[in-house]
Amino acid sequence: MSQLDPLPPDAAAHLHALTRRHFLSRCAIGLGSVALATLLDQSARAAGPTQPADPTTPKAPHFPARAKSVIYLFMAGGPSQLDLFDYKPRLNELNGQPVPDSLVAGKRFAFMTTSHGSQLLGSRRAFARHGQSGAWVSDLMPHTARVVDDLTIVKSCAADLFNHAPAKLFMNTGSGQFGRPSMGSWVTYGLGTESRNLPGFVVLQSGPRGPRGGSVNWGTGFLPTTFQGVPFRGQGDPILNLANPAGVSSARQRQTLDALRDLNLQQAVATGDAEIHTRIAAYEMASRMQSSAPELVDLRGESAATRALYGIHDDAPSFARNCLLARRLVERGSRFVQLYHTNWDSHGGPGENLQSDFEARCREVDQAQAALVTDLKQRGLLKDTLVIWGGEFGRTPMGENRDTTGRNHHIDAFTMWFAGGGTPAGRIIGETDELGFNAVKNRAHVHDLHATILHLLGLDHRRLTFRFQGRDFRLTDVHGHLIESLIA
Amino acid sequence: MAQYPRWIRFAALITVAGTCGLEAADAPTSTVDFARDIQPILSDFCYHCHGPDPGSRKAGLRLDQRDAALAGGKSGLPAIVPGAPEQSELIARIFSQDPEEVMPSPDSHRTLTDQQKQAVKRWIEEGALWKDHWAFVAPIRPALPAQAATSISPIDAFIEARLAQAAIPLSPEADRRTLLRRVTLDLTGLPPTPDAMNAFLADPRPDAYERVVDALLASPHHGERWARPWLDVARYADSNGYSVDAPRQIWKYRDWVVGALNRDLPYDQFVIEQLAGDLLPDATRDQRVATGFNRNTQINQEGGIDPEQFRVESVNDRVATFGSAFLGLTLSCAQCHDHKFDPISQREYYQLYAFFNQTVDDGHGSSKPGGVLEFPDEARTDTSASPEVETARFELFSYLESRDPAHVAWRPEITPAVLAQLKPEMQHNVTQPWTQLTAGQRRQLYGYFVRDDAEYNRRVEKLTALERSQNRVVTTLVMSELAEPRTTHLFINGDFTRPGEVVFPGTPALLPPLRVAGPRATRLDLARWLFDPAQPLPARVFVNRVWQVYFGRGLVETENDLGLQGSRPTHPELLDWLALEFAESGWSMKALHRRIVTSATYRRSSTARPDLAEKDPLNLLLSHQIRLRLDAEWIRDVGLAASGLLVPRIGGPPVFPPQPESVMGLGQVNRAWITSEGDDRHRRALYTHHWRATPHPAAAVFDAPDSFSACTRRVRSNTPLQALTLLNDRQFFEFAQALGARLQRAATTDDARLRAGFELCVSRDPTPPELDRLRRLLADLRIPDGSGEVAAESEVWTTIGRVLLNLDETLNRS
Repeated sequence: MSQLDPLPPDAAAHLHALTRRHFLSRCAIGLGSVALATLLDQSARAAGPTQPADPTTPKAPHFPARAKSVIYLFMAGGPSQLDLFDYKPRLNELNGQPVPDSLVAGKRFAFMTTSHGSQLLGSRRAFARHGQSGAWVSDLMPHTARVVDDLTIVKSCAADLFNHAPAKLFMNTGSGQFGRPSMGSWVTYGLGTESRNLPGFVVLQSGPRGPRGGSVNWGTGFLPTTFQGVPFRGQGDPILNLANPAGVSSARQRQTLDALRDLNLQQAVATGDAEIHTRIAAYEMASRMQSSAPELVDLRGESAATRALYGIHDDAPSFARNCLLARRLVERGSRFVQLYHTNWDSHGGPGENLQSDFEARCREVDQAQAALVTDLKQRGLLKDTLVIWGGEFGRTPMGENRDTTGRNHHIDAFTMWFAGGGTPAGRIIGETDELGFNAVKNRAHVHDLHATILHLLGLDHRRLTFRFQGRDFRLTDVHGHLIESLIA
Repeated sequence: MAQYPRWIRFAALITVAGTCGLEAADAPTSTVDFARDIQPILSDFCYHCHGPDPGSRKAGLRLDQRDAALAGGKSGLPAIVPGAPEQSELIARIFSQDPEEVMPSPDSHRTLTDQQKQAVKRWIEEGALWKDHWAFVAPIRPALPAQAATSISPIDAFIEARLAQAAIPLSPEADRRTLLRRVTLDLTGLPPTPDAMNAFLADPRPDAYERVVDALLASPHHGERWARPWLDVARYADSNGYSVDAPRQIWKYRDWVVGALNRDLPYDQFVIEQLAGDLLPDATRDQRVATGFNRNTQINQEGGIDPEQFRVESVNDRVATFGSAFLGLTLSCAQCHDHKFDPISQREYYQLYAFFNQTVDDGHGSSKPGGVLEFPDEARTDTSASPEVETARFELFSYLESRDPAHVAWRPEITPAVLAQLKPEMQHNVTQPWTQLTAGQRRQLYGYFVRDDAEYNRRVEKLTALERSQNRVVTTLVMSELAEPRTTHLFINGDFTRPGEVVFPGTPALLPPLRVAGPRATRLDLARWLFDPAQPLPARVFVNRVWQVYFGRGLVETENDLGLQGSRPTHPELLDWLALEFAESGWSMKALHRRIVTSATYRRSSTARPDLAEKDPLNLLLSHQIRLRLDAEWIRDVGLAASGLLVPRIGGPPVFPPQPESVMGLGQVNRAWITSEGDDRHRRALYTHHWRATPHPAAAVFDAPDSFSACTRRVRSNTPLQALTLLNDRQFFEFAQALGARLQRAATTDDARLRAGFELCVSRDPTPPELDRLRRLLADLRIPDGSGEVAAESEVWTTIGRVLLNLDETLNRS
């Protein structure tokens, strides 16, 4: 980064004090204010006397971390675990039978109205056991089946909310209500980011449309907006306008940005508006992205073997490209990369049936997600990178539609898998009942998953807090227990 | 679309929890308030299984109605015995330690805090008083609080009474420059001109501000600015959406909104014409244009679809939009089952559906006569094609797409001699993989090499014929009633293939009864019903939305949900006063704007208040104004205005300002973006052609809505991608060049030019340190950069223009 222009001495002092006060009062995490103050002073000294502390500077975790970064493959819409990982021969036997009353009596369940979805639907998929772990995987994910010994498959996941937008919000923020920070925001708030040149929290999208709920899924709620996810474009150029306008040299661009920053700082002092600090940081990040992002998104540097591994055959936007981009982001220090792949909502209607549509979704992700795990491992990155795979919920053992071509939303038991980042390799956690309706062993609620993910990153979910309106808020609110078996 | 934080509800819960919170200020600690303290608990923790939806009701118990709660469920035990918590089953259950007994049941993962349980117990002790949900009771005119000394309007009286209670001091009025920039942006979406600023500063009359407000309200730009939030609600776009996203003509509707706002068409009439202008006696052409409101639904032109499915989708969208636009209710929740929180049944949903289920438009966009209104007196001047042409083009392009490389048989024929005959562009293209060619490139190559493909030729001929015969008449989409009413069924589980009982048009029992003028209930009856004096919702919903534009947050935070899951108003009396005043003064929207912007509350300084970090960090009590980032459209418009490029013409077909070249390749159908030249390059953002599938990136990056469904409030993000747009995007660079040139023309000295630039962008003089900093930039720019190049003076001033247009202050309303 270029030299900063000195501000008038009194303005600089005032600004530093203001910035310090702002971050001390609004951003004190569980480290304790004293430690944070030291950290701020160190970073301030290192960068020169007028450098305001950057809230995304890397921060020490609460205890030694197993994972340094996260790649979260979010399967938006809720893939059917019963056709992928949770093999239920009994369900196949009972195909077409009414669902036993014992399962649904007294059950809080979204679509159990009189009219609907009461017949069991067996899976038409061929299942087989794979790897040393003997994990069941259906024929829809042959590539993933080959890497099961690197995965921890959690079959007993459970959530609270059964409509897409609130459920996505719940999976991302621990609350179905708007206004809470997303996991990626909490993590970058707690740990900062190693990347100075790319955003710490990046969102990549593939599939025909964005995830329901949109930007609130990677929003910051009451945390400073600096920590929000930066969505790269889902199609075409991931980032537009990276090049300077014609005729503007990088030296001139830097002079422009320096003047702009100084003027914005003066305005920040005059108005006290914390959003101006976010804008200043955004411009600085934009400037660094101008030099680093073209290299990031240029996949020509990747070997033919790597591209083939992911299944990238052209420049068309795809989940596979995003997986490779995610690896490159993590290599370059981004803290939290979240990929959304949409249209897993297999109700059985047009475009969302459990046959060709579901197969197509699986084809779109299978090779690339397996390649991501393999590639990270080959490069020695897997041990520090936690890969998370899953939707906002799963699907019912009951079929939907008269021609039984779909399944409904199901929150009582669904499958997610994890790889790397301090999770055990080749373990299967949790069991569901013989129909896959309820988790009967090691139930892993979303709050527990959140607590465990933070733990792997070296953060105590009870200590990663933000005081807002007189109350300390957490990702797990007042819930969350560590899932010990998910920690190697 | 977007919904927003429920801070207010948090605050209410926190109060119950006894820690701290705003509600504490006026909560007498001795009594429990049902609506504030109890109903949110019941709604969050109980209604899911014991609420209005019988489909999910457990144990026959409902707790959303007092009589039912007193009676109890199947067990026969009364859930609530007023005054006797020890006899109330509800209390026994929520305090139970037995996992089989305790409520909420453990598998719901909802746990009541001790304070919440105690609050419920105390409420029953105090007699279990039950009040209807505030928003379902028509407002009654509240008594004005004793006026604080500085109050100049009832708005201020309500706000200041509340602040006095909380012992929060008021911020002073903003300085005159800030105030004029604020109100000019808020009322017209443009910054004040330097002349307007000077005139205002020089006007010593005590009502100088009110005079400015009146002038701004009379400006034709007022209609452009306030059309935007309405068009967000109306999900206006210039294309059909879904994957094909063919262009449509409906800009006459957009212009109708601008015009209606400018002539201050009363809100009741404004709404009635949009919902049912076609059914008014002797409907004028204008009134029919207004019904475009409900033709802004998407149309799916994919091959192989069931058009009925997408017609049903568009009717559902009309019901959902009716709910969020006018009632502030989430009606869609009742599409598949009874509403889980608000007393709206699935049957009632389909009764509303029946009103909108009677028009001629289908789901495939092949509008029957009546769905399209023609303007034979106006020739089309825009460049976009008709839906028929677009469809033919799509058919051709998808055929070409299906001709995968295996079908492309010419490659062996390509000898150097053949290659040499080709145009240079084609020489390049033949070497590229088929999948990477654009549709146009494929057509060119295919047409050249493959001459005997009958299917291809048929499609080309169809397209060419249509292109030649294209009707160049201006049209707009309108609602048009079928001659014979369509039968409406309730759809089981919301599935259109599963029709249930037949239903007839009707309104929810929760709200006042419908008056039917003719033999059967029509959209016109429904539209008029919204303005029945007994209606509790529409006026509150509208004034709340207007309020949120001026203060960044509505008096009810959840502006699209005033139901039981919504947040409570911070200032219920003020909301009701505004709603009643609005209705009783003849629904004048301009009067409503005037009432708000002339209040002292609106006029306060927006400087941050660190003293309120604990007490009121979100400024819910409005002790001061706040800085708000401008919406996407005003960011462009401010750039145009400051640079002097703005072409302020009102209305007309959509225009195509510059955008990055890669954008249009993103849709399923590769559409042309022929960048406008001349005046149309510099029109306000309101007129930019809005493709749903490929929206203009400079709008999307600043959170412009996608127009897939009604958007009642925009989010405001702050990202590096916005910085890249403003710094490097071609159109913003053009603004900077024009601004630089304008400054060079405006004055001869550096300082005078810099001052002029500040005035144009942020409507004030630079402070001495700001001026110093810009002088230093000038000096830096005039010495050679690293490569030894000296910038031309025009480039120097372009850079100054870039800095000024990127200032945070330029992008914000202070």
